[in-house]
Amino acid sequence: METLKINGVEKEFAAGIPATVVELLKQLDIEAATVVAEIDGQIVEQAKFDQAALRKGQSIELIRFVPGG
Amino acid sequence: MDKLIIAGREFKSRLLVGTGKFASCEIMAKALEKSGTEIVTVALRRVNIENENDDMLVAIDRKRYLLLPNTSGARDADEAVRLSRLARAATGINWVKLEVTPDPYYLLPDPIETLKAAEILVKDGFVVLPYINADPVLCKRLEDVGTATVMPLASPIGSNQGLKTRAALEIIIEQSNIPVVVDAGLGLPSHAADAMEMGADAVLVNTAIAAAAEPAEMAEAFKLAVEAGRKAYKSRPAAASQKASASSPLTGFLRNI
Repeated sequence: METLKINGVEKEFAAGIPATVVELLKQLDIEAATVVAEIDGQIVEQAKFDQAALRKGQSIELIRFVPGG
Repeated sequence: MDKLIIAGREFKSRLLVGTGKFASCEIMAKALEKSGTEIVTVALRRVNIENENDDMLVAIDRKRYLLLPNTSGARDADEAVRLSRLARAATGINWVKLEVTPDPYYLLPDPIETLKAAEILVKDGFVVLPYINADPVLCKRLEDVGTATVMPLASPIGSNQGLKTRAALEIIIEQSNIPVVVDAGLGLPSHAADAMEMGADAVLVNTAIAAAAEPAEMAEAFKLAVEAGRKAYKSRPAAASQKASASSPLTGFLRNI
């Protein structure tokens, strides 16, 4: 089965991995507007989420702002 | 009140507020409003993909407040630089509160890694506000590499102990050519007023507001204290003396000499 490592955890995609970051966020039910992503350590800006193609085995970080001092 | 200027940007308020530890987004929003702040700090963390919660940024009016992402959680310069770049990608803002705190017990900042990260980030176009121990020499080194402010601590983060680093803060304020923002450990409005009377350009408060029983009221108390302290500093206080100095006339008493 195809997998992506998301935020440090291996996740399996039975129907194949999502094509782009936008697709991934949709599947995970995460609001894209408030998230920033890294693919294998490279930052992907929100504006480019729909162009950022995903390949199996990649390591994805999905990050957002949280309360902090 | 005279304006605070950081990296060429003017602010009416000299109180920066952290967004951590509030019981709810509504309570936070109300406290931010009452504080009069124009700069609020936020942290960056992984999205919880199993349990997606509402986004706290919704509660922060981005037109009203400048978001100042911090690099909390970074243990070395590389992690801090990585977090700063992620924050910039997320906000389009190049301001960052640089924090490198490898020690989880006292959360004291690592001066060597902080200076290293500051140098990289300034070269990369960031406006860097470094959180540091109250070290006058480090402050000058950071100023030399081009940070926008220095943010020396009053006492450990969230400790509410007040100005434990007073003597060093006085030297920092005397020597600094960039704004000095006293950060961390201010537990009461009187601590904030004290720092402002000493000549600090601004203070940052989080726990003392967020953990109060009435956060919005405490936020306003800090606002008033910061304004009072600044006004007192600008009024050039009268000198202290060991002996009494009568404030009423010493002539015309109702007795014969």
